[in-house]
Formats: sequence, structure tokens, C-alpha cells
Amino acid sequence: MAAIIGTRRIRPDAADKATGRTVYTADVALEGALAGVVVRSPHAFARVVKVDVARAQALPGVRAVAHAGNTPSKALDFGIKDQYLFPRPYARYVGEPVAAVAADTEAQARAAAAAIQVEYEVLAPVLDARAALKPDAPLVHPDWEHYEKTAGRVLRRNVCGYNRVRRGDVDAAFKSADRVVESEFHFSPGMPGYLEPRAAAARPEPDGGLTLWCGSQSPYSNRDELAAFFDLVPERVRFVNQFVGGAFGGKILMAAEWFAAALALQSGKPVRVLWSRHEDGLHIFPRHGGYAKFASAVKSDGTLLAMRASFVYDTGAYIGYGGGTALISSMLASAPYRIPNLDIEATLVYTNKHIAGPVRAPGGPQANFAKESHLEEVARALGMDSLEFRLKNAWNESDVSPTGQKLEGVTIRETLGRAAKAIGWGEPLPPNHGRGIACTWWFSSCAESKARVEIRADGSVLVASGNAEVGTGSAASALPMIAADALGIDPQKITLLLADTASATYDSGVGGSGSTFSAGLAVRAAAKSAREQLLARAEDALEARADDIELRDGRASVRGAPEHGVSFEQLAKAAGGSITGSGEAESISDPEHDETLTETHGFASWLAPSYTTTAAEVEVDPETGRVAVRKITTVQDVGFAVNPAGAIGQIEGGAVQGLGFALTEELVYDGHGDLMPDFKDYLLPTSVDAPAIEAILLTSKSGAGPFGMKGVGEPPVTTPAGAIANAIRDAVGVAPHETPMTPERVWRALQAK
Amino acid sequence: MQPVTLYVNGDKHEVVVEPLQPLLGTLRDALGLTGTKEGCSTGYCGACTVLVDGRPVNACLFPTVDADRREVTTIEGLAADDGALHPVQTAFIEHFGLQCGFCTPGMIVSAAALLAENPAPNAEAIRQALSGNLCRCTGYQSIVESVLAAASELHEQGRAGEPPGRRAAIRTRA
Repeated sequence: MAAIIGTRRIRPDAADKATGRTVYTADVALEGALAGVVVRSPHAFARVVKVDVARAQALPGVRAVAHAGNTPSKALDFGIKDQYLFPRPYARYVGEPVAAVAADTEAQARAAAAAIQVEYEVLAPVLDARAALKPDAPLVHPDWEHYEKTAGRVLRRNVCGYNRVRRGDVDAAFKSADRVVESEFHFSPGMPGYLEPRAAAARPEPDGGLTLWCGSQSPYSNRDELAAFFDLVPERVRFVNQFVGGAFGGKILMAAEWFAAALALQSGKPVRVLWSRHEDGLHIFPRHGGYAKFASAVKSDGTLLAMRASFVYDTGAYIGYGGGTALISSMLASAPYRIPNLDIEATLVYTNKHIAGPVRAPGGPQANFAKESHLEEVARALGMDSLEFRLKNAWNESDVSPTGQKLEGVTIRETLGRAAKAIGWGEPLPPNHGRGIACTWWFSSCAESKARVEIRADGSVLVASGNAEVGTGSAASALPMIAADALGIDPQKITLLLADTASATYDSGVGGSGSTFSAGLAVRAAAKSAREQLLARAEDALEARADDIELRDGRASVRGAPEHGVSFEQLAKAAGGSITGSGEAESISDPEHDETLTETHGFASWLAPSYTTTAAEVEVDPETGRVAVRKITTVQDVGFAVNPAGAIGQIEGGAVQGLGFALTEELVYDGHGDLMPDFKDYLLPTSVDAPAIEAILLTSKSGAGPFGMKGVGEPPVTTPAGAIANAIRDAVGVAPHETPMTPERVWRALQAK
Repeated sequence: MQPVTLYVNGDKHEVVVEPLQPLLGTLRDALGLTGTKEGCSTGYCGACTVLVDGRPVNACLFPTVDADRREVTTIEGLAADDGALHPVQTAFIEHFGLQCGFCTPGMIVSAAALLAENPAPNAEAIRQALSGNLCRCTGYQSIVESVLAAASELHEQGRAGEPPGRRAAIRTRA
């Protein structure tokens, strides 16, 4: 059997996707389903005085109207209990749901939605994170002092998150420095940008349960949240996750699922809630916008002595899953550089905007854009080459992280060197062309995940995992490869059962670059168990020792004598019908760090860190400020690539998402907190905006994941903006301190030079 | 309401639609052809791309009545009658031109239309032709590689410039 793991393998889900056969949530046909429509607040901040549904309920075809008056009054709990399903009584962003309607047809549901009369007392909104921190700013949550929260969470006036990392004597270091450089930055909020709008279908079941069809990143935790909210038995709530049309962190929290469930329970009938792009945009969990301030103290030879950095992030109306952005940013601000004296803080601020979420690499593009731009200005102030400056300060093996974690397998220098070489560092360029470089470290995540590998009576192999396939191939491609490798079969022949809570096994969800890591560990353990059982049965059947038996193409046979063998089918039958191996991701303890260096920081120790460098070449038109990116090279230490083509796909896609953050993507709010949620205003990069991309994998095998892998998906989106900004500096001497770096902002920076 | 005759992937369908009912809803809801996706409903993402008489259109904006008695080709109709995939489909599978797959039907249909018109495009021409089809996952590089590979394959098979999709066996024009 040829090697499977580590080789380029066609995705088993590719043929269905290329022929239109793959089923996404909106493609699920549900007999007799009603259409569900959500009624949304048009105000950034308002007190809902009254929701009058009488007229709507009387309209033809209307089967259910859900609102605060007839749904559970409990608060949703994401660490701070600051949110309800429907306003009680405050609606805190444009688009916040105030009611939902189900009717026989979509047209009837829309007519009923329009007939719901909501009386609002309109309040003055807070639309800027820094403005929200002013002592006289209106309170986004007037009753915040009464909120329950999980221990360790920070809750203050208009603030729902804060952390700080401090080491050394920063003041003394700044006094002793040859040079101090300061920079300020502004980040615009952004969309996850998945192409499949949110959708859900729900059907009440005769046993009092509920079945949900959806496209979630985390169907198991969603099921538990939904069951708890509606007081249903979790085991009777079934989430049948479909293939997901892109997620990027935007599909971790439930959205349409809530309303499909509420309306199905109320009407007793199946309900589908399908959102248009516009509605999806009104219910978006965006990438955080915000501000950053950096100051660095440096010796004239380029040695970094100290850094102060402060991030203020606009997290919108509710905490949701927005906390990671602040925690990760403070870990990135000084890394991967040896800076002995640090004072870094990050604050998460409530505003009357959409609930910012953990969009692919939360905080990564923002913090790395700011940090790498700032350090470029330090290097330029000293007249040093940016690569040389980075290599002078970059971590070495056994250096410590900002929070005192001892680092092993540090490959940052290798990524810097190879990226610089690939982009042609130092070679001459035409006028207005430039090259830039940016680097980072990142974490892997090992979360709870279970798997089952079955050899069935017909000899076929089934792999069941609770992990969802969101597009990366982590589930659909890597998991069958891992099982196939252990069982000596073709991965294409494996039946894969994913993320159906009734028949798959628990998984904590897609996030934190942790799918192949966690679900992969679980599948590897389950496949190992199945293999051992197969070998034990084969020992008896073949009268040979397990060491002398090999598994190949669905048979167990004596090594060197393939004719002396027995099929999986025979072995499964002999075992009473099937052989089942179960496994789970072994829990890996977090590396030690120095807790005295942190304040209210719940993510100060990073498992299996990876190292990544991106280099970019750009051409700037000084007349218009337009930036054309000619090439992006990313070198990433992935530890090990189960399917190298999949890892390369993550880097290429990440490069262009990073380019979008850098140059075009901006969720624009007006002065009333209304936003423009359509693709005609929000500019995702197109095929002509995207440059040639070179993805280089380093496989140090030093990760703690299966086969030595590390998390792959997030790092490559975090480095392009810094590299592009620095390439613009190289080309024309200045670059905007604000994302996206639109032609206007580049032009203005040039005028201010 | 308006009666309309559609020739979709070689099959004749009679439907009755509202005058401005977009073709996308007709294909997905009335004919059950859910391979074509709705990404933005405003003609910006291209996920709903289908061919009408060989030309790519955004089915989310294209009125069903304008497809009356014309050939419509969707992702379901690109494979040959014997089930053999169109070389563009094969290339997207083999060259990792897809990840989540949601943009893929529209992307493949656009690429097939391009190769019918320009059998040997370079990377730049491919990027131009596909600039109306958004992809958030791949960064487009593997898509460009897929289309280049499909162009060579069509050339090798002697099918360069061949219009994609099945033709209706019997077709009458007013």
C-alpha cells in the first residue's frame, strides 16, 4: 500500500462539489415546511416599548409569531449574560431581531412581518469604540452592573473584556533607549465573507424533540445551547449538519437556527429560514474593527528593548464569541521578537453595532498589521534593512513567549529567510514597486473530539466524527486519510459520517485551527483500535502473529503471502457483524507560562506554536494611490501536512483574505449605525485582485497534533496586510495606518509625506 | 402569470411564472435543480451562473421569461450523457480548484463558457473571465490552474472550442 499520510490526495468530497450534488442547508427539501422571516430593528439603539402582532397573526397563512412575549426570558450565556433572543427591552444594533413569523409561503410571511407593529423609543447610540470609553458616553448596556458573568471575565462601563501582559521595567527601558518610535493604527470591521448565507430548517418531532438542518461550525455546542434555551432534552434535539458553504469563524454562533427552532416549536410544523445576503449581512458576526497604539524603545544597533502597545476593539452590542480577539492581540503585539520589557493591553468595548466574532484568526490580521507596520517604521527610523532588523530580534530556540512560555521548535528565522529569498529580497525593482515582509507566531488548538471507525458486515469502512466540513478539507479529506492509513485502504472508499448529533460522535467544533488536530487525533485513535481488533481476529483466522500480518485493500494477509489472507468482510462477520474502534483526542496540557506576567488573560499559553512569514511585492500608482499586489509568498511551519495540497489551499486562500483585509474589505457604517451589507459595497477580492501566490510548507514535525502537525488554517490570513503595507512603504516611502489601505488612503498618506 | 418553455440541460420543461421571477428560483424550486447556488441575489457573486444559449448569466437576476424557448445549461448538465464529467469539472477536482464548493457550480459553468469562446486562454484571460465569480476559500490560484489544465485536456481530446452542455433533442423556435 502506497503511503497515504503526507501525500497529495484528491478530496473525497470534490466530485460532488464539482457536479452540484453536494447538499447545503438551503438545498434540503423539507415536506410541508413553512417559511420563516425575521423582523429586525431599524435603529442602532432603541427601547422596544411594544410589539403588536395582532394584525400579523390575522393574515392568511400565518402559523406562528415569535417575540419576547412568548419565548423564554432567559439570557444567552457566552461568559457574560448580556443578550436575549429578542429585546428585553433594548435593541442594540441595526438588524437586531425583534420578532419572527412563519407562514405557508414566503410572500405571506413577508406580508405578516411587515404587519407587525413595533413601537420604539429611539436612543442615542454609541458607534465608536474610543467614544464609548469616554466617561459621558451613553451606556450600551444601561443595566450592565446586574449582569451575571463567568469568573475571570471583565465587565465595566461599556467594556466587556480587558487583559494585560507586563514584563520587565518598561519605563526604565524607554529612558535608556537610543530611539523611541510611536505609531497609531485604525482597523475597519470586516465580513467573514462566506458565500453561503445563513440558513436553517427545523422540524418538531413526535417525541417532543426537534431536528435542525443547518451549516454550523459547532453543531454539538449549538445543540446544547438550543436545548437548554427551549428546555428540551438535548438527546432529543438532533442537529444534522450539512456541508457548509464557507464559515471562517462566522458560523460558530447560531443565527437562523434560533428562529427556525422557535417558529417550529410554536407552530408544530417544519420551518425553513433562508436568509438573503442582505439579511445575512444584518445578522453578521464581523471581524473586529478598532484602534491600536504602539511605542517601541530601541538601541541604535537595532536591538529592541521595550514595547508599549494598546488595543481598543469595537466588539459591538454583545460579547458573543468576541473575546478571543483581545486575548490573541496582546499575545501577538510583540511576537515573535525578543523584547525583554513589555506593557501590552487590549480592551473590548461595547458599541451599538453588530456582534463582532471570531473571524478566521481573530485579532491576527489587525494585530500583525499594526505590529509589523510599526516595527517597519522602527527599522526605517534606524536606517536598517527590515529583514536584517527582524532577524536581529526574532526568537531563537528556547526563547520565551511574551508570557514566559519556553519555546521549542522555533522556526521563525527559517520562514523569514525562505520568504525573503522567494520574493527576491534586495534585488533591484522599477520605480514605485516595493517589497515587504511580515511574520507571526500562532497557536494550535486541541479540543474535545471523539470518533468511531467501523468495519461493517459487508467489509466497508465507516468513519464517524462530529467535526463539520466547512470547506477546508480538515474533515472531508484529512480524516478519511488518517483512518485509511491505519487500515491500509483507499481513503476514497471510506464512508464518512460528519456532524450529525444523532449518529456521529461529539466534537467541540471547527475553530482555532484545530480540526485536523483534534478530530484527527480522535480518528487516529479510533482507527488504531479498529486495526488492533482486525489484527487480533486475523491472528486466529490466519494462525499468524499480528506482527506478520498486513492490512491491505480491505484484506488482512500474511506478509509476503498475499494469497494467505482474509477479507475485512469475513473478519467483521466473525466478530458478530462489525468491528468498531472508538477514540478521542487525548487531552494535551497547556504549556507552562508565567502567570505573574498577565492580568485577566485566559489564553496566555499557546499549544504547539507555529511560525509564518509572508513577503509581498506591490506596485503603487502615486497618482491614484492604487496598489496592485504582484506576488505573495507565504512560508509556514505546519509541522506536518496530512494532505499537502489541502495545506497549500489554506495558505493560498488565507493570502487573498489577508489581501482583502489589507486593501478592500470594509464594513461601512453610517452615522446612524446602519451598514451596507451587500457585496456591491463590501469588496471581496476577485480573481483579478488576487496575485500569484507561492505557498511554502515547512514540515518540522514538531507539533503535538497527529504526525507532528500544527494548526494550519489561521496563520496565513494574519501576515499579508503587514507585508503589503511594508511593500507600499518600500515603494513610495509611506503607507496608511488604517485598513483597508484604499487608493484614497494611500493617496492621502502620499500627500502628507 | 406567464407560461414559459425551458430547455434545461437538454430536457424540455413547461412552467408558469410571475413575470419577473428570476431564473434561479425557477431552476431551484420549480425544477429541483439545486446545484446552482444563491450567494448574493444581486448579481455580484456569480454563484448562480448558468448558461443561456451558451452565454453565462446571473440566474438570480435573469428573468425566467427571457429564457423562454432557449437552451439553459446548469452545473447538472455539463457532464456527458454517459455521465463522463466535463474536463473543467475533472480539472477542478484534480487541481483542488474548490474548497467549500459553494461558488464551484457557478465558477465551473463560467470557466466552461470561457473555454468555448477562448480555447487557449492565459492566466490573465482566465482571471478576467472569472472576475464575476467570487471565491472566498481558494485565493483563485488553484482555480486558474484548474482552468489551464482543462484547456489542455479539451485540446488533447480534440474538443477545443466545443460548446458545453447537452443540447435539446427537439427544439422549436417561434
